[in-house]
Amino acid sequence: MDIKKLIDTLHPLERKVLPILGRVLDFNKIVEETGLKDVEVMRALQWLQNKGVVKLKDELKEVVELGKNGKRYIEQGLPEKRFLKEIEEEPKDADSIKEKASLSKEEFGVCMGVLKKNSAILIDKKDGKLIFTITPTGKKFLERTDEEDFLKKLPIELKTLKETMVFEGLRKRKDILKVQLLKIKKIEITELGKKAVKEKITDKEVVDRLTADMLKTGEWKGKKFRRYDVEINVPEIYGGKKQHYRRFLEEVREKFLELGFTECDGPIVESDFYNMDALYMPQFHSARDIHDAYYIKEPKYCKLDEKLVKKVKEAHENGYRTGSKGWGYKFDIKKTHMNLLRTHDTSISARTLSSKKLKIPGKYFQISRCFRPDVIDASHNVDFNQVGGFVIGEDLNLKHLFGLLAMFAKEFAGTDEYKIVPGYFPFTEPSAELIAKHPDLGWIELAGSGMFRPEMVKPLVGKVVPVVAWGVGIDRLAMFKLGLKDIRQLFSHDLKFLRNVKVV
Amino acid sequence: MPTISFSLEDLQNLVGEKISIDKLKELLSYGKAELENYDKDTDEVTVSCDDTNLPYLWSVEGIARLLKGLLGKEKGIPKLEVFKESKHELIVGKSVSKVRPYIAAFIARGKKVDDNSIKMMIDLQEKFCESYGRRRKKVAIGVYNYKKIKFPVTYKATDPESIKFIPLDFKKEMTQAEILEEHPKGKEYAWILEGSDKYPILVDNKDNVLSFPPIINSVYSGKIEIGDEDLFFEATGEDLDAVLLAANIFAQAFYERGFNIYAVDVKYEDKKITSPYMFNESIKISGSQIKNLTGLELKEEEIKRLLGRMRFDYKAGKVMIPDYRRDIMHPVDIIEDVAIAYGYDNIKPEPVTVYTPGQPMEINKFIDKAREILMGLSYQEIMSPILSNKSILYENMNIKDMENRRFSEPSEAKASSGFGTIEIKEPMSETYSVVRTWLLPILMEVLSKNKHTDYPQKIFEEGIVTVRKGDDVKDYHRVALLSAHKDADFTEAKQALDLLMRLLGFKYEVVEVEHDSFIPGRVGRVVVDGMKVGFIGEIAPSVLKNWDLDVSVVGFEVNLTELFEKIK
Repeated sequence: MDIKKLIDTLHPLERKVLPILGRVLDFNKIVEETGLKDVEVMRALQWLQNKGVVKLKDELKEVVELGKNGKRYIEQGLPEKRFLKEIEEEPKDADSIKEKASLSKEEFGVCMGVLKKNSAILIDKKDGKLIFTITPTGKKFLERTDEEDFLKKLPIELKTLKETMVFEGLRKRKDILKVQLLKIKKIEITELGKKAVKEKITDKEVVDRLTADMLKTGEWKGKKFRRYDVEINVPEIYGGKKQHYRRFLEEVREKFLELGFTECDGPIVESDFYNMDALYMPQFHSARDIHDAYYIKEPKYCKLDEKLVKKVKEAHENGYRTGSKGWGYKFDIKKTHMNLLRTHDTSISARTLSSKKLKIPGKYFQISRCFRPDVIDASHNVDFNQVGGFVIGEDLNLKHLFGLLAMFAKEFAGTDEYKIVPGYFPFTEPSAELIAKHPDLGWIELAGSGMFRPEMVKPLVGKVVPVVAWGVGIDRLAMFKLGLKDIRQLFSHDLKFLRNVKVV
Repeated sequence: MPTISFSLEDLQNLVGEKISIDKLKELLSYGKAELENYDKDTDEVTVSCDDTNLPYLWSVEGIARLLKGLLGKEKGIPKLEVFKESKHELIVGKSVSKVRPYIAAFIARGKKVDDNSIKMMIDLQEKFCESYGRRRKKVAIGVYNYKKIKFPVTYKATDPESIKFIPLDFKKEMTQAEILEEHPKGKEYAWILEGSDKYPILVDNKDNVLSFPPIINSVYSGKIEIGDEDLFFEATGEDLDAVLLAANIFAQAFYERGFNIYAVDVKYEDKKITSPYMFNESIKISGSQIKNLTGLELKEEEIKRLLGRMRFDYKAGKVMIPDYRRDIMHPVDIIEDVAIAYGYDNIKPEPVTVYTPGQPMEINKFIDKAREILMGLSYQEIMSPILSNKSILYENMNIKDMENRRFSEPSEAKASSGFGTIEIKEPMSETYSVVRTWLLPILMEVLSKNKHTDYPQKIFEEGIVTVRKGDDVKDYHRVALLSAHKDADFTEAKQALDLLMRLLGFKYEVVEVEHDSFIPGRVGRVVVDGMKVGFIGEIAPSVLKNWDLDVSVVGFEVNLTELFEKIK
């Protein structure tokens, strides 16, 4: 950048700092000379670095500072010195030294050790008391000591051997010293900087901020505005935003609403009844093991519409006059009342079918959290969302189910290339699976579907009506759309990720 | 979902024609089965069967039978010839009626056992007993060397200490009680016999023990080896239909492998049932039923042809069902097979034309408004698992289980009504062992996981919490918000709450309360029309310490379900 232009872009803080960089490169001295605050100098230096005028380097330094006791000793003198002062004139016993020099028991002990080691005192016993006498070496101690010099110099970095030795001695004593690792900015001026400091820099001639006053008075006219570096990188900010997975589910929801589906929901704690029995899944079915569902401790059982339970019981036992022979086993009424966390969203379809609000014809859907015991890894979660629903209408048949699946392939995988193959679900007959060619994932199982069995529909609705039902495997599509490799990221608690994940 | 494997060559021999892997893949879908793998080096095909009600498909013979129908090599109900010899009797003692009442049996002779038939026996037996047989409780199967057995055979129940024999895989004689305690199979399946004082046993006319159903065969006759020629098969269980079905499925498979099948007369105290058993089941279907369910208009000849492909016989509106199938309950089961045989690819999709206006749940509209307001305040939305644990919800928040109810539940709710947390009976891990009852702790966890991320951290979550009230369980939509930075204070939280309530149109008060998760004197209950709908405050330092946080945190949580009910 041309030097003149560069000068024009300088902020008032930079204008104060830059001129002295020709001779001063020590941070504290810059603070002193400019009269600015530490943070202001720091900011100015960072900006100057961005402009290529200086280079800042972080250096880690071990700095020795005064501790709690160290500060006190600077005012009161070191304990050993106070000790010696007391016996400068005449020998004294321990108690009187302690009291007069106001030394704690601990400090007294340390003093005794230090002074004896340095042969500064002599200790005698008299009448069961310890008597302390100062030695000629001790008298020298009363003059300035290395320790005092050292403390007065703090904070410093250890440089000389002498400093290090004194430091080692004092460090062992309680709270005299504190050692801190400090980040110190080392400032280097660049070639560009060397040219820049030679320019005339004042903070008078340019307008920094446009103020209301300037606008009123027209003072801005004819003045130069400080040039900004518009290319500069600014610090990141984070706005409030929708959680990524929730946004995806909302879009799915919008889609179904647009397609004329009515939204439904149901309880998280479900009964065996709605979760399985009402779906004509036999109570001995292999998917009904305790390990395939989260049963709950309390309340163990729930209240149900017993008239409806009776109808479903009949369907299981003898087909409930649907033309079916039923599963032909003894239905367990108590078991059907057991509570569990719903394992799939079809429980909600069963509730909707038995609800007074059901309209025929009608289209219904739900997006719901479901739970299944599993070992959690990149592709399995115990807590996941399902999207499903049904269309009910007197004239519906398998062709309409296929029509719906074709639409799903288009709406959810964005493709016209799909296959419908036979499938198996305990509650649908016929059953079909939708396999769609996703533009990026290739052939994926997208939806399971079928016509609800008459043994399921008649007890719930009161009559046999064709019901086309489906469930879309939504998590996999969500992961793809959001560019995630791990299913756990759908519920991520990583704020950096949440703040930065793209809005798609 | 049972998975079976077999060699492609064996399948091709049974079908009588070469089949490419692609073709196999396509044909398997007709039986709701999927090709999982084909290993070129070993020629091994692995297939998973989706439909747990079709055990007759769980062997290479079953797959071959399906394929022969689809490829037009055979049609209609497969052939099964059964010979009878009067000496083949099996006598059932009354003593088994309480423990394991039913047995079915047959004999397969005239062909040497080879690798393929051994594999079929082991695989089909295992899949059948584990899945369809409910881990041997409903059905267990045994196969024996026929030549060692002197008929009639007796099936009875005896005192667990009274008979000794050498079980397979062991060298010493053991009583039945000892087998349940010491033999691996005994330990695995002992649960089936729990509560019985007599155990089932199968012995021949010379009192040789054949087996201890449903646990283990004896060494005497219960080990089948390659080269053995004549086999005795039996299935025991608590369901007569299921044991007969087992005998039928195995007899069909042995027959198709080239064995001659001989019937066994099973004599109960009050009846005689010969197996393999001819169920002779049939079901009526009509063209109009097919049209109603599938939209396909098919002529009777076409229906007959399609059913023949799927191995049914058809005559004048009646569908005859093969004796190895007991899964047909309703005409829809047959009609699905008609549609599958017709080919899903050939069924033309039709759009659903019924017009219905889409209706969102009203509460979701309300929830979205609340979320929009908080996002406008620059709060990042969070979405978490609903499952949580008590240390997050309570211990780390310095409160006892559900003490927070006082600040979140309707005022009419009494402490005595047994508020509680929904706990999972057998959690896989402690991390996910209860259903969350409030949201603030979840957000605290988020903060604690992000100590090294830029502050201020402003987050909120809207979601379902679930609480138990006596014998009832209720879900609530709630929203919680937290702001964490060095200057976060009560005012900031209250400004956010105030904005939310104002824009949603609620008049509210904040009444000072005590709550151990918050700093005393800096926590309030949010009240609307006299109803407690939430709380607001500065998180207590002891709680911050529990979460290893060294920054001030403020926030609130309100019950959106209850607020919504006020304006509904």
